[in-house]
Amino acid sequence: MAQKNLLQGINDGLRQAMEKDPKVLVLGEDVGLNGGVFRVTEGLQKAFGAERVVDTPLAELGIVGASVGLSLAGMRPVCEIQFDGFLPAVMDQVICHMGRMRNRSQGRNSLPMVLRAPHGGLIHAPEHHSESPEAYFTHTPGIKVVIPSTPEDAKGLIIAAINDPDPVVYFEPKRLYRTVKGEVPDAYYETPIGKARIARAGTDLTLISWGAMVHTCLKAAEELETDGVSVEILDLRTLTPLDWDAISASVEKTGRALIAHEAPNTGSWAAEISALIHERLHYKLKGPVQRVGAWDIRQPLFQLEKYYIPDAHRVVRGVKKALNRQPV
Amino acid sequence: MPLTTVHEAKTQRLEILDPEGRVDAALEPKAPKEKLLELYKKMTEIRVFDERALKLQRQGRLGTYPQIIGQEATQIVPACCLEPKDWLVPTYRGQGAYFARGMQLRYSLLYWGGDDRGVKFPAENNDLIFAIPVGSHMTQAAGLAWAEKLKKTNAVALCWLGDGASSKGDFHEALTFAGVHKLPLIMLIENNQWAISLPRAQQCAAETLAQKAWGYGAHGIQVDGNDPLAVYRAVSEAVARGRKGEGPSVVECLTYRMGHHTTADDASRYRTAAEVDGWKAKDPLARYTKYLKAKGLLDDAAIAATLKDAEAMVADEVKAYEAFPKPSPLDMFANNYDKAPWMLVEQRAELAEVLKEKASRNEIAEVPPAEGRFP
Repeated sequence: MAQKNLLQGINDGLRQAMEKDPKVLVLGEDVGLNGGVFRVTEGLQKAFGAERVVDTPLAELGIVGASVGLSLAGMRPVCEIQFDGFLPAVMDQVICHMGRMRNRSQGRNSLPMVLRAPHGGLIHAPEHHSESPEAYFTHTPGIKVVIPSTPEDAKGLIIAAINDPDPVVYFEPKRLYRTVKGEVPDAYYETPIGKARIARAGTDLTLISWGAMVHTCLKAAEELETDGVSVEILDLRTLTPLDWDAISASVEKTGRALIAHEAPNTGSWAAEISALIHERLHYKLKGPVQRVGAWDIRQPLFQLEKYYIPDAHRVVRGVKKALNRQPV
Repeated sequence: MPLTTVHEAKTQRLEILDPEGRVDAALEPKAPKEKLLELYKKMTEIRVFDERALKLQRQGRLGTYPQIIGQEATQIVPACCLEPKDWLVPTYRGQGAYFARGMQLRYSLLYWGGDDRGVKFPAENNDLIFAIPVGSHMTQAAGLAWAEKLKKTNAVALCWLGDGASSKGDFHEALTFAGVHKLPLIMLIENNQWAISLPRAQQCAAETLAQKAWGYGAHGIQVDGNDPLAVYRAVSEAVARGRKGEGPSVVECLTYRMGHHTTADDASRYRTAAEVDGWKAKDPLARYTKYLKAKGLLDDAAIAATLKDAEAMVADEVKAYEAFPKPSPLDMFANNYDKAPWMLVEQRAELAEVLKEKASRNEIAEVPPAEGRFP
């Protein structure tokens, strides 16, 4: 066991998966010789060769379409789209093919592929390099979506994603790449897809989050504690399929929920979670579910991004608002 | 039946000025003296600016910045072949093209300084804001050219792209439309040999990118992109073809990205210093200077004066950039719709409350450091 950052956790998982299964290959822009623009795939081409760690031409839709084909024919591609803001270009393959192949082929074909992409903002990056586009993917049937917030889960989830018989979108919270450190087991292991994690136990409200925002919530929880408010933080880890058991167990206990995330609220994954809680736990709630997300506008350039993506203060505000609401 | 040849194409390469500044008189464009000197002045200015912008980034006074050093000819010259009514559609490495059309450099600094106000084109220009997702602007450029054709304005659209973007489906689609509708579109490929870490040879197996033109019924030519005269001639001819209704052109300019992909990149990880040095000898500004001197249009005193003026101009632009008041967080709610819908009205009010609370906690003056690192 060693202290590693999130980026090293992913790198570890990729390396072990490639050692285990010669069908696993990594492809994308600058993933080989350069080790990826964030260095997530550092050293992999040296270890496994240019046939298994492939620098592709600059064609995002081609990368994903080719990965669909590779996985159809028995390979296990792990493709990378360099930035979240370049993902819209690949949605044709994601929506029309990745998510539908198993069903359209009446179960004959499956796509055991992984699509990796960095996620989220607050690293002073240029335009289109800081987005949180998970809702476009969670809205798409037939694919799974995961996002770790710790180095240990980063490794376990990438291995689980590679082994999963269905296509998995693996988001990497980029501001955590080097800022979050933790123990990462040396062994080859999976973090189960579809299972949330309690990041902090509490009693007054369930704070549901994912990715980098989990750490913002942890900061908010400390501030709330000094005000005598105890929140339970649920790190979803998997966005689809949701761990409904974990959500319902926590919300039934606290009676209140707030979903904090980096994307605009309208049509967001937070909206889906809120709807589910209201549909299924309405009579157990002490107040309406709240959401804290980005504003319903395009992400501004980096000077203003700290006012766009919710910080701990906005989460604290949201929690206080949720607590002051009368029972519904 | 015997096999017959149904298509044959020949792709030519245009070079007029060699690296020593010697000119092929038969091909030398007949540009007026003022035009030749304008190109020199602007290339010098953008070179000085680029070096200064890199320093600002290294000093923490600018965000991530994409250098254009080495590409002055392919940035400045094509823009100077256009009229204001023509569409200028650059890439994100396009500050030279905007500058050549009259945008003040302070706005390029503002943009790369993370401020959305960093876009201000001269009112009379048809300049389009560049796209960051690579190549997504190419079909739009076809649409711009199409509109001008329908409006019978005789205007063209000049679309820059890199060797990387030529691999995207958008390139195929833009030229397909432009070919079918005979659109006045010029696809100017700034082939700077590197798409971040991917060398040109791994980008596409074709010998040239110019030859792709023939697949769409477009005209294609390869040009020495570090030769301002060759770029001038090829782009002027493509513009003329567009104005005459002869359809789209592809102008592949062979140049070199002398700097990193951006300041967030480290090119030494994937290319050799020897390769970079080899291209230094082909510097576009150096050879153009030699040419103008030999032609008697420039002497050492004029060179020194141009450089000094450029430095003063750039210093003024940096000063103006840094004197801009910080953007107000509430500004981000402007210009999202013609009329802001209810949720934006509410959210703006909520942010105003948040800002008030932060001010009362003395948080607002603080500029939080970036939590992560790019990249």
